[in-house]
Amino acid sequence: MRVNSTARFAPQTRDESNTNTHGVQMKTLIVSVSAVLLAGSAILVNAADDAAAESLMKKSGCFKCHSVDKKKDGPAYHEVATKHKGKPDAEQELYKHLTTQPMVKIEGKEEKHAKLKTDDDAQIKNVIQYILSR
Amino acid sequence: MLRTIWGAMRARYPSRRQAIVMVSVLVLVLLMVGAGLVVAGAAGLAWTETLGFCTGCHEMRDNVYKEYKDTIHDKNRAGVRAICSDCHVPREPGPLILRKMQATFEVIGHLRGVINTREKFLAKREELAHHVWKRMKETDSLECRNCHDAQHMDPSLQSAGAQAKHKLMQTQGKTCIDCHYGIAHDEPKGPTPEELYPNIKVQRWKERPSDAPAT
Repeated sequence: MRVNSTARFAPQTRDESNTNTHGVQMKTLIVSVSAVLLAGSAILVNAADDAAAESLMKKSGCFKCHSVDKKKDGPAYHEVATKHKGKPDAEQELYKHLTTQPMVKIEGKEEKHAKLKTDDDAQIKNVIQYILSR
Repeated sequence: MLRTIWGAMRARYPSRRQAIVMVSVLVLVLLMVGAGLVVAGAAGLAWTETLGFCTGCHEMRDNVYKEYKDTIHDKNRAGVRAICSDCHVPREPGPLILRKMQATFEVIGHLRGVINTREKFLAKREELAHHVWKRMKETDSLECRNCHDAQHMDPSLQSAGAQAKHKLMQTQGKTCIDCHYGIAHDEPKGPTPEELYPNIKVQRWKERPSDAPAT
């Protein structure tokens, strides 16, 4: 049985159905490159936010009582994120927690929860997003 | 060969007085060379204790040093610092020399490139931290106690929670590293020092006689 398998590899005749004009080629190039850059920058922006959040949290002493995955004096951030998953008021709750210094219990003794060392709302919200995404 | 030298010396300096002078000169020279070697050795050891020495390797400079920067042991109100050797090298002479000999393996590791990229370092972070935690557990956090003396902590300057937690050193036999881990460098994922090494018997440190005031 003779199968013309080489037909698939024969050079196609080019006509309007299988060619793009130069303009269309250029547009696709621009769109695809922008898409890649946008996606890349989104990832980079997330990375920068993480780094900024961690830096502020380190400065504010959060990691003295909290870890991402371990239980210390305070709950692990992974636990916090799981607890608040899908809750619509999660961000609000955490914002209150980080700015109003509620009383917390450490080894049976009550003391004020520490505040973030910043007055910038955007930075506080960034930290909240960091915690909720652990 | 020694016999010919001996013969030559006896021929050159036949009289007893000359011999005594030559021997004393020789002994003096040997003593000075010995002293010079001891001083050079001590200076070399001191050099290996400096921050510049440790951060000479890019593995340290780009990873753990960057994490240590701006932590409380690096920068604080009073400017009192704990650098690499303060926490990672014991001060007692015996353990110090032992640790320095161990450090030759780190040179081999550097030459082999065990953690010479960021990715390799991140992959090995847990293991490296566990080495330090294990040592701290075994020595009752010896290097912490080079500067922090639990007997001389002022409770009035600590929060009520902190005071209660520090009492656990007596009531539950905890050591510094059980709670104070991940403070100078980023905390690795995984179990805590307590969970990792639950069976290590902490050798309770006895107060050194030199730490007590002369009565």
